[in-house]
Amino acid sequence: MDFNLMIEITPLLVKAAWVTVDISARALLFGFIIASVLVTLRTSRIPPVRWFARAYISVVRGTPYFVQLLLVFYGGPAIGLRLDPFTCGVVVGAFNIGAYMSEAIRGAIESVDSGQNEASRSLGFGRLETLRYIVLPQAAGLMIRSVGVLAIILVKNSSLVSIISVIELTYQAQRLIGSTYKPLEVFTLSALMYIVIIYAVMGIVEFCYRRATRYAFL
Amino acid sequence: MEFDFSPVIEYLPTLLQGVGVTLLIGLAVAVISVLGGQIVAVITLYTRKVVNWPLRFFIWLFMTTPLLLQLYFLYFGLGELILIPAIVVGILGLGFHYMAYNADIFIATIRSVSSGQYEASRSLGFGHLRTLFYVILPQAFYRALPQLSNNMIIMVKDISVLSAIGIGEMVYVSQYAISVTFRPFEFYITIAVIYYLINLMMEAGQTWIERRAAYRR
Repeated sequence: MDFNLMIEITPLLVKAAWVTVDISARALLFGFIIASVLVTLRTSRIPPVRWFARAYISVVRGTPYFVQLLLVFYGGPAIGLRLDPFTCGVVVGAFNIGAYMSEAIRGAIESVDSGQNEASRSLGFGRLETLRYIVLPQAAGLMIRSVGVLAIILVKNSSLVSIISVIELTYQAQRLIGSTYKPLEVFTLSALMYIVIIYAVMGIVEFCYRRATRYAFL
Repeated sequence: MEFDFSPVIEYLPTLLQGVGVTLLIGLAVAVISVLGGQIVAVITLYTRKVVNWPLRFFIWLFMTTPLLLQLYFLYFGLGELILIPAIVVGILGLGFHYMAYNADIFIATIRSVSSGQYEASRSLGFGHLRTLFYVILPQAFYRALPQLSNNMIIMVKDISVLSAIGIGEMVYVSQYAISVTFRPFEFYITIAVIYYLINLMMEAGQTWIERRAAYRR
């Protein structure tokens, strides 16, 4: 192990790690919005809308993220969709994780006993009010846990974005190996950075979980 | 923009070869990861700390770093010390990755088998190992089946990542075809459709297995 080298390349890798965090955070944010829309469509009263959402979720979950990235980045220009690598990473990441997340959110909402819904409706709450004040607070704990797992998957998936040449952690590691010929040192360091990022995500998830279940009678 | 799928049809035999490689790798990885996961779980639960701490560390390490990085590490990093063929690195890398996930599932399900089962079996005269193999592990295995098949569905999709270290599976083969024909959209959409079909079949298999597992439980 060449420790001098490791110290030397740390700033470069930290910068690249920030790109990893950036791309994952944006994908998570947009993915959450997409997931919310999908949940709404999935539980819609109009059958074709429901079918569309189901088909979308099934196809996205049934094809590899890697192939989706390649399809949009290299195949996209054929249908007039030109994205720069970073945007492409965010967009594909968001649409991919959105499909998984919509199932997580739906599962959390459905885990709330249906009696709660009925009781609330019979007490005069509207549909949205019931969702806002009765169902969501009870679903929040499970929802945060499962979305947290997806956030970790998202961070790990962001390494695949290196294949469309976004200079994030894995791609930067490869470039550094190209110039230093020290794969062991560089990969060990970048693995450490992934672990740090993932521990940070786990910490945030734990914090949100605690806050969301503060008043739960569990 | 018009689409031209004739190059795809022209390269169909090559693509199908890629599909074959993907399926073979999937099979090998499934065997390695399920058996290995079972072994790792048993060792983790039933041995002393000196033995099982390195294994826990191994599970933790494989679960907290991305698959692509692990593959690069095994291929380029260890390639510095010993030269291993890409296909071996691919199968072992993917196998270890999912071994960690499967071990995690097995640990949970083995723990979930009630301790009364263990005590009853011991009081009926079975030894410790026999109890493990004839009573605890079969029950734990059936409980683990739904999650195991879930993991295997995710794993098959991750085989596409192996193209990054130059293994001739579907994506790699199509990348080659694209570099000749300049038709990325058509080829990648074909790959996506093939993956989706494989996935549908695996999901059908999963429901079948789950029904069987519920019956045997």
